[in-house]
Amino acid sequence: MINWLYTTLNARRIGLCLGMLLWAVGAFQSAWALPSYARQTGDECAACHVGAYGPQLTPHGMRFKLTGYADSNDQGIKIPLSGMVVASFERTAKALSAKPTAHTDTNNNTGMDEASLFLAGRIAPHVGSFIQATYSGTEHRASIDNSDIRAANTFKLGDLDAIVGISLNNNPGVQDPFNTLPVWGFPYASTELVPGYASPMLSGGLGQHVTGLTAYTMLNDSLYAEFGGYRSLSHGASIRLGVDDTGSSRVASNTYWRLAWMRNQRAYNWSVGLVGMNTGLKPDLTVSDIDRYKDIGIDANFQYLGNRQHIVTASTSYIRERQNLGATYAAGNSENDHNNLSRWQTTASYFYDQTWGFSSSLFRVRGSSDALLYTPADDSGSRIGSPNTNGYILQADWTPWGKENASSTPWPNLRIGLQYTGYTKFNGASTDYDGSGRKARDNNTTFLFIHTSF
Amino acid sequence: MKKSERFLQLAMAILLGFPLLAHAADAKHGGEVYAEACADCHSVKEGKAKKGPSMFGIVGRQAGTVADFNYSDAMRQSKLSWAPDQLSAFLKAPKQKVPGTKMKLDGDLNDAEIADLIAYLSSLH
Repeated sequence: MINWLYTTLNARRIGLCLGMLLWAVGAFQSAWALPSYARQTGDECAACHVGAYGPQLTPHGMRFKLTGYADSNDQGIKIPLSGMVVASFERTAKALSAKPTAHTDTNNNTGMDEASLFLAGRIAPHVGSFIQATYSGTEHRASIDNSDIRAANTFKLGDLDAIVGISLNNNPGVQDPFNTLPVWGFPYASTELVPGYASPMLSGGLGQHVTGLTAYTMLNDSLYAEFGGYRSLSHGASIRLGVDDTGSSRVASNTYWRLAWMRNQRAYNWSVGLVGMNTGLKPDLTVSDIDRYKDIGIDANFQYLGNRQHIVTASTSYIRERQNLGATYAAGNSENDHNNLSRWQTTASYFYDQTWGFSSSLFRVRGSSDALLYTPADDSGSRIGSPNTNGYILQADWTPWGKENASSTPWPNLRIGLQYTGYTKFNGASTDYDGSGRKARDNNTTFLFIHTSF
Repeated sequence: MKKSERFLQLAMAILLGFPLLAHAADAKHGGEVYAEACADCHSVKEGKAKKGPSMFGIVGRQAGTVADFNYSDAMRQSKLSWAPDQLSAFLKAPKQKVPGTKMKLDGDLNDAEIADLIAYLSSLH
């Protein structure tokens, strides 16, 4: 969240906040298969989500999202409300030097991470919503979370089947139907109580602080194209929605675009895509200088679904960001006026019987060295002024419900998972990366989580 | 019977019987096809409506007649009866057979898969 806190922080703390970006991403990443959608459509969670729990969408789920969360079996009254509660145990290899929040300890935290309420479902014919409000158990506050309201319809133009829609949302990428971009990418659950690392703006850096409108189309279930833009929430709206905009940067300009090609061969499907976002941020409202972030990414996804007993998925994404830090540099808070930052991640998963899931992922962050931007700081800083980070994630999970034959369908769904995140490099080094003697592997994290939605 | 006539009869028998020899409908494989292509939208449980109507007892049923299911007008007025041949023609090209149907599947299945699928659907009673 560096860009939102920037104006009030000195360079050392800016480095910290760059690191904090992914803490926030983790905090807001847990949005899932919503039983209100299952009740609306009659479809079980497994019809739309790989492994019977969100957010990884099957082609069936993608279509439901693209057509505006509005499909229904028209059986009885549908109330578009769902809830979600997340509880977890988190342990890092070495305790942090300070409590990550006022309500948590330096290690071995157990408790409720968050409780969410969703307005999720059809609002009107061809209009639907995914609106999440979350109470954070670690920060003891409530705020708007990922939200997406869309209107869409299908058209037949000769031999061309077209879905055309618009999305009003508050996080670039949250409206994307593919699970390759960071906002909906693996891990689908993570703890916010561990040191984070820098990541491009498309990794959720604008999440909840902006509102944007995009228009999209999917042609013949193959070609996806989207274009739109975002602007900052007003101060008044931020307060009403519980979003902390203290010292926030303002979005001076933003454009977002997406192109993807998808083939659904029924037993398996694949997609390749491009994504881009140009963002101008004004970190200091009293001067005219602007920081510009140009993100461009490439991604690919493969799902073997077959008869759903053995499901294999693989995805990869690479996002490269060019930073023109005119404002930051002029203020003396960065060593360079131009920096690069890139993020690569590849994930593979196997699900047995839509119940047992096993996932592994590799990730890597690379960026320009900048001793003023990435400064030494306990746990989250960089001794050598580098954001470079390497790591891996392993996860096993159990999802007993969410299938058609589960007695609980379409009411509660449940996932219990054990996740391990390991780091071989953190903020530029494997040993003493923060200038206080902390090793990258000290951040290795064991995360046991229980998600339930209803 | 002349030798040439016997040869002709044998040839016709082989030709006429070839499709059956080439593909005996396999209900088990039809279940796999169902899981891949149909199960997201259709349940096999009696009375269970997903986005599409239940497939329980579909073979032989009058089209558009599952109680309380909100069919398209096109399907309700189609007056089709889901005998295997009608079902096969529909599954080959749903939107051509019943223009205006809500059916999402669109000619994705080959003849052998359709035959297997109908064999599977026939078992749902």
